[in-house]
Amino acid sequence: MKKILILSILAAAAVLSACEKVSPAGILMAGTAVEDRVKMSNLFYKEHMDDHTVLMAFGDYTFIVGADSHLATDSGRLDEMMAIGLENEDLFYAHLGDLADTKAEYYSTLDSLLKEAKKRYVPKYYTQINEYEYVSKLNQDEHPRPVTYDEITFPFFPVVGNHDITHNGWALWSNIFYSSFYEIDVIDFLPEGDIAFDHLIFLDSASGTLGKTQIDLINQGVLDGKYADGESMYRYTFVFSHTNIFRPQFFEFASTFTREETFFLLDQFEKWNVSAVFCGHVHTWDERNFNGVHYLTLEAMSERNNPEPGNYLVRMHVGEDELAWTPVKMNYTPKNKKK
Amino acid sequence: MRLNLTILTISLGLLAGTVSRAQVYSGYRHFDGEHRNEVSGFLTGGFNVVTGTFFSEAATYTYHFSPRWSISAGEQVQFLKWVYSADVMGTYRIPIKKKTNIYIDGRFLFNYYGQWKVSEPIINLSALLETSYVDLRWGWSFVSYHKSGIKKEYKSFTDASYAEPLVMTFGLGVNIRERSNPWNLGLYIRNYDLFYYENWNINWGIRFHATLTPLMKLYGEFNVRPAGSLSQLATRYETSLKVGLRYIW
Repeated sequence: MKKILILSILAAAAVLSACEKVSPAGILMAGTAVEDRVKMSNLFYKEHMDDHTVLMAFGDYTFIVGADSHLATDSGRLDEMMAIGLENEDLFYAHLGDLADTKAEYYSTLDSLLKEAKKRYVPKYYTQINEYEYVSKLNQDEHPRPVTYDEITFPFFPVVGNHDITHNGWALWSNIFYSSFYEIDVIDFLPEGDIAFDHLIFLDSASGTLGKTQIDLINQGVLDGKYADGESMYRYTFVFSHTNIFRPQFFEFASTFTREETFFLLDQFEKWNVSAVFCGHVHTWDERNFNGVHYLTLEAMSERNNPEPGNYLVRMHVGEDELAWTPVKMNYTPKNKKK
Repeated sequence: MRLNLTILTISLGLLAGTVSRAQVYSGYRHFDGEHRNEVSGFLTGGFNVVTGTFFSEAATYTYHFSPRWSISAGEQVQFLKWVYSADVMGTYRIPIKKKTNIYIDGRFLFNYYGQWKVSEPIINLSALLETSYVDLRWGWSFVSYHKSGIKKEYKSFTDASYAEPLVMTFGLGVNIRERSNPWNLGLYIRNYDLFYYENWNINWGIRFHATLTPLMKLYGEFNVRPAGSLSQLATRYETSLKVGLRYIW
């Protein structure tokens, strides 16, 4: 019988050490900590409140969402996402995490790709008035405030995914995006002269839990956005999370939130009066309503996971009185695809 | 002195609620041919990232109809977390060898998460292979939940209900000594605990049992419940210590 015991232990050890993504050390300690990421993110926002990003829209607008690009050596799909957003004049891009596969060179590629996308974005939306300064073409002020190239935010907003933080990936990710837990306001100048505020919430769920610090901050109401009388200041609220809430199929074994955290989030989304929650992680499409909140889980846009062209992106149409989403097809296929 | 110890342990057991849930107790659990009744209960103390510190009590009663058939019913209250649970379970034992059995468990479990007004009925069907040193559970769970207290009138019942795709149940435990020894230590990994079934969030821990009297055993476990499964991303989510008593008559 002792042989069975020894064999079982050896088998378990073999299973635990055989896969790069399953680490015996991971049972005992986290390679990267959500607590640290959220504390850093919160600190960054406190120190850079003046930089708090506000997007301006003029009437109905759209934004585009993609997930799980797992950028490695081929940046085709991310390039295509940038081109699609620019061509359609989407207000911003949201990415649901697992941007790249945690090698320094992949994040260098990502950084270059975003810089190139910004080079195409700036001439489309800004007029250069001198060697250093630009003014927005959309700003209808008589004397719009000039901004430098560096002050222009390229509107690409990601959440952090589990593949972004393994092997010290957070150091690479945060070097580009700074913050994993943040919010953005959209000010929509409506045709009748009214103004509406929309709210974008980006959660750090890469570790499969928000962690105590993030939950405490949420419970403290840092993202509530309410007026003194308790009324929400927002017309629509959109939440972006890497880890998915709902599991699309029974054979999907990617870790989702634990029981209590799932119920906490479902309750919190209702309190925030969320219109739509966008999730990635599981690489499988899922759409459902739960308690008045619409949940979309996106397929992976990675060319390695989905080499064939397909509807991997979602475009959200934000109107004054209604919301709608449409699938967006990606046509790029890998250069080395076997036919 | 021995009588005092027995009274003390019985009192603690009743306070705890009483006896051995199959998921926690690491000794043999089959009917010994003499004592048809079994009661077990334990106290738990722990910390959860979402709800903070919590304590719980749990109790289960089991009746052995025959060497093959048994039925049990249990309850648990998690204070400060405010989760209330109740379950019934029927078990059929298939003897394989003298010290090897397979148990087929059919279970209905109902949880109510008070903080978020969520009801969670669960049906689990699983098989447990129990040998002298190793136990292995595999099966499936049907998990659904419903959120009550809907504020907006236009939402229907189905709008706030969700049935998960089937959830696989698995667990592996090993003891350092043969299971019938008066005391034992072991390790385990599993994707469930007494009153929940997770998807790919995997618990692990250390378990023990010790014989106090011929009819009473002390048992327990130190349970680590990380978020993010077993990967390098496994992140602190919940840790707890269970200590319980099992009494048969």
